[in-house]
Amino acid sequence: MSDVLASGQARQLGRLERHDTLEARNRRFEEGDTVTMRVRRSGTAGLAEFRIPYRKRMRVLDALNWVAENRAPDLAYRWFCGSKMCGTCGVRMNGREVLACWEAVEPDMTIEPLRNLPVVRDLVVERGPFERKVAQLQPWLERAQAYRGFPEPLSHKEMKNASKALDCIGCMCCYSACPVIGLGSLTDFAGPAPLVQLSQTALDPRNDASKAARSLALAGIFNCVSCYKCEEVCPASIPIVSEVIEPLKAKAAVLVPEMARHSSALRAIVAVRGYVDPTALVLSVRGLKLLLDLRRALRMLVRGKIDPIKTFLKRKTPASAAAARYLKRGHRS
Amino acid sequence: MQIKSTDVVVVGGGAAGCYAALNLHRHGVRSVIVCKGLIGKSGASIFAGNLVLAGRALGNTKEQARNTAEFLIKYHNQFLIDQHWARDCGKWIENVYYPELEEAGLYLRRNDEGEVVTSPGKIRSVAANLQGNSGVPFMDLRRKQVIKAGIPRFEETAVTALLRRRDGSVCGVFALDTMSGEYYVVLARAVILATGYSDRLHARSTGTREMSGDGIAMAWRAGATLANLEMQWWHTNDIADPPAWQRMQVYPNPMLGSEKSARMVNSAGEEFFNQQEDDPLAYGPYTVQLKALAKQVHAGKARFDGGYYAGFDHCDAREVEAYTSYGKGFRQLGLGFPEQLVETAVTAHYRQGGIDVDTKTMRSSVPGLYVAGGLGGHSNGLIGLATYDGKVVAEGVMGDLAQLAPGVLPEVEVESEARRLESLLQTCPGGVPVSQVKAVIRQMMWDKVGVEKDAASLQSALADIAAIRLDLLPRMSVVRAEKSTNYEWLDAIDAVNMIDTCELIILSSLERKESRGPFMRRDFPMQDNTRWLATNLMVRTANGHRFELRPYDLPFFKPDFAMKNNLEVAW
Repeated sequence: MSDVLASGQARQLGRLERHDTLEARNRRFEEGDTVTMRVRRSGTAGLAEFRIPYRKRMRVLDALNWVAENRAPDLAYRWFCGSKMCGTCGVRMNGREVLACWEAVEPDMTIEPLRNLPVVRDLVVERGPFERKVAQLQPWLERAQAYRGFPEPLSHKEMKNASKALDCIGCMCCYSACPVIGLGSLTDFAGPAPLVQLSQTALDPRNDASKAARSLALAGIFNCVSCYKCEEVCPASIPIVSEVIEPLKAKAAVLVPEMARHSSALRAIVAVRGYVDPTALVLSVRGLKLLLDLRRALRMLVRGKIDPIKTFLKRKTPASAAAARYLKRGHRS
Repeated sequence: MQIKSTDVVVVGGGAAGCYAALNLHRHGVRSVIVCKGLIGKSGASIFAGNLVLAGRALGNTKEQARNTAEFLIKYHNQFLIDQHWARDCGKWIENVYYPELEEAGLYLRRNDEGEVVTSPGKIRSVAANLQGNSGVPFMDLRRKQVIKAGIPRFEETAVTALLRRRDGSVCGVFALDTMSGEYYVVLARAVILATGYSDRLHARSTGTREMSGDGIAMAWRAGATLANLEMQWWHTNDIADPPAWQRMQVYPNPMLGSEKSARMVNSAGEEFFNQQEDDPLAYGPYTVQLKALAKQVHAGKARFDGGYYAGFDHCDAREVEAYTSYGKGFRQLGLGFPEQLVETAVTAHYRQGGIDVDTKTMRSSVPGLYVAGGLGGHSNGLIGLATYDGKVVAEGVMGDLAQLAPGVLPEVEVESEARRLESLLQTCPGGVPVSQVKAVIRQMMWDKVGVEKDAASLQSALADIAAIRLDLLPRMSVVRAEKSTNYEWLDAIDAVNMIDTCELIILSSLERKESRGPFMRRDFPMQDNTRWLATNLMVRTANGHRFELRPYDLPFFKPDFAMKNNLEVAW
C-alpha cells in the first residue's frame, strides 16, 4: 500500500481501506449467482429492487440494461459508448460515484443518480448546470504567440499536467462527490471537473497567461478543501487535487494574487514560524479592517483564544527552519 | 411544438457534422446542430484510436505516403472508393488537418525531447494524447469549438424525419427532444446528414446506444440513392464479455513508439494473427484479421462470437503503456497485464457503404439533402476522412446556397410525422416490449446477415423482416405513455428505422453476387473484379427500387487479378 501517495497517481485511499481492489471486485461471482440491485427511481419513495442473473464480467451497465430489457422498460438512465469514453453513465453505487460501464457489479448494490445536479428522471441528471460552468471558464486555447506550424515545438515534459487532465471524459463523478459543490451557492467554487477541463489549457504552456488569469478569477479555486474525494472516484484516475487543482492554485497565486490572499498569508506565516498562528493570519488577511472588531478581539484575549505575546514577540520556533526548507523545496508545480 | 429557421441544419454531432457546422460558421452561414446524443460524446468519432499520417506529413517518406494511400484504397475500401476524392483528402490531411487541429490546441503526443511520437513502419500514425483514446480529446476539442462559436445546439434531440417541399426537395427536419419530449421543426435551405456509419443492427455492434440506422432510413424515405450498403465491416478482436464492452477493441495495429502489435490466438493456443509480422501494410488490418479468423472458424478453432483470444503477452507492459491506453481494460477486468490474454469476438463495425454522394459537393440524389462522414457511400469513415467530408460538404452547400430557397413549413408532413410518433407511444396490455423487438432484429441480423451469409440466409432474413413488420411492430407497446425522458419511446422510433435499414442492407447484400473483403458470401466465394469492381447502387423508384452498377475509375491503384477466392486475397 506504499504507493498510495506515489507521485502522478490518483489517491485511492477509500478503496484501499475497504479492501475494494480490482481483484476483489472481479472475483466475487460465479456464473449462476444473483445480483441484487436497488435503484432510486423518480416518483416513488423507496428503492425498486431487482434480482439479476450474473453474467460473466458483468458491469453495472449490463445490470441496468438487463433490468430495462426484462423488468422495467421505462427505467431512465443515460449511456452511449459502454467503454469509458463518452462519460455519460455516471451513477452512485453504494454511495460511491462510478461509471456504470466500467465498474463491476457488486452482489448487493444500491444505484442512485449523481448528486449536486438536478435529477431529470430516475438516474438521468441534468448536465446543463455542469456544462455551463465549464463553458463559463472558456476552456479553450488562446495562444500568447502565433502558431508556428506543424509540428510546433512542445515537449511532453511541458505538457505533463495538462496531458493528465486530457484524460477527463466529463463524467461528472467528481462533481457529484465534491463536498464543496454540495454547499451550493455558498461558495463560488467551480468544482473539480470544470477545473480539470480548465487545466487542459490553463496548464498548457501554449496558452496565454492572461486568458488563464481571467478564467481562474472565476473559478473560486481556493474554496477547494483538498479532501481528495474527487481523485478517489475519478474513473480516469486523474490526480485531480495534486496534479490539477494544486498547480492551478499555484498559478492563480501568481496570476491573480488577490484571490490567494488567505493561502499566501498562511504559507508566509508557516514559512516564518513553522506553525499556523491564527492571530497573524487574521491580521494579514483582514488588515486594518480588524480595528472594527476590537471588542471581539478583547473577548478572545480574555478567554485565552489569542496570545499577542507569542504572536508579536516569539516569531521563530524550532520548526521554523524545517518549514522554510520544506516550502522552499516547493510543491510539484 | 417549436418551429425554428436557419440556413443549414446539421444532423449529427460527430467529426463530420461539427466540422461542417464550424466551416459554415467561419463563412457566416447560419447553422444549427441537431444531435441524437451529445455533441462530441455520443456516436463513433470518440472511438478513433489514432490519427494516420497521410502524404509526407511529419517526415513520411515517399514510400510511406504511397503505402498509406494504397492501404486506404485496398485494405480499407477494397477498391470501392473514389480515388480522386481519396487523393484530395490525403493532400488536405497532410496540409490542413494536422496544423489546424494543433493550432486549435489538440495535443499530438510528444516525448520528453519534444518529438511527436509515431508508430514506426510502413504506415505511421500519431495519437492525440494517448493511442486508443485519441477520439476523446479530439471530439472534446470539437465540442468546445462549437460552443465557443456559439452555434445553436439541440442535443439529446432525435431527428425523426426529413421534411420536403412539394417538389421533393428537403427543407428541414422534424425532431424530438428526448429529455423534454417536445417536438421541434427546424426549417432550412439545406440539410446535412452526418449521422455516422455504425448502425447497431447486429447482436454485437460497435454502434453506440443511440445508433439505429436513422440516417439511411430517413434518406431512403426522402428518395435518396444508396451505395454499397452491403459492405459491412467487422471488428475481429473486441472483448467478448461483459456485453457492455462489445465495442472495446484490443487494437490490432502497431503501437506508438514500438515495433509490436497485439496478437491473436485460437482455442488451441496457436497464434493466428499479428499485424506487424503478418501484413505490415495492413495498418488497420480488420479485413485481414477477419479472413484469418474465418479460416480458424472453418477449422473449428474459434467461433465468430468467441472462443479465441487477443492481447499483448509478447510485449513488456511499459512498452505497451508508454503511449497507449491498452492496458486499462485488462486491469479493470482483473486480468494480469500483459501476461494474460482476453477472450474476444467479432463485432459489426463500419458500414463502408451508405448514401450515394457526389464527392465534389457531398450532394445526395435529393435536392437540398447533403451527406458527410461515415454515412456517405463513397468511403468508410476514418476520423480524418469524415472531417474532410465536413469541409467538402460545407463548401458544397455554400456553393449551392444562392439556389436553395429558405425552408417552408410542410404542414401536412409535420402533422403526419407527429401522428406517427404518437402512434408509437401506445401502451397496450399484453403488447410486445420494445426492447424485445430490437433484440429480435439484432439476433436475426447476427444469425442470417452476419460475417458469412448466402442467398438462403438472406432470403430467410427478408422473411423475418416481413414477419416482424406484420406481427411484432403493430403490437409493440411502451410501459409509460409520457413524452419526457422516455427512452422506451425512442427505442420504438428506432425499431422502425432499424427494420427499414436492415431490409435495405439485406436487399443490397443479395444483389452483390461475389465476396469482397469483409463481405463474405458462402454461395459466391470468389472476388470478381470483372463485374463487381463497381458501386452497387440502390435507386428508389415509384413502386419500389432497382439496382444499378457504376464502375469505379481506377487512376492510381488497381487489383492485379480478375477473379480469386476472397479468402486467398490478402485484403
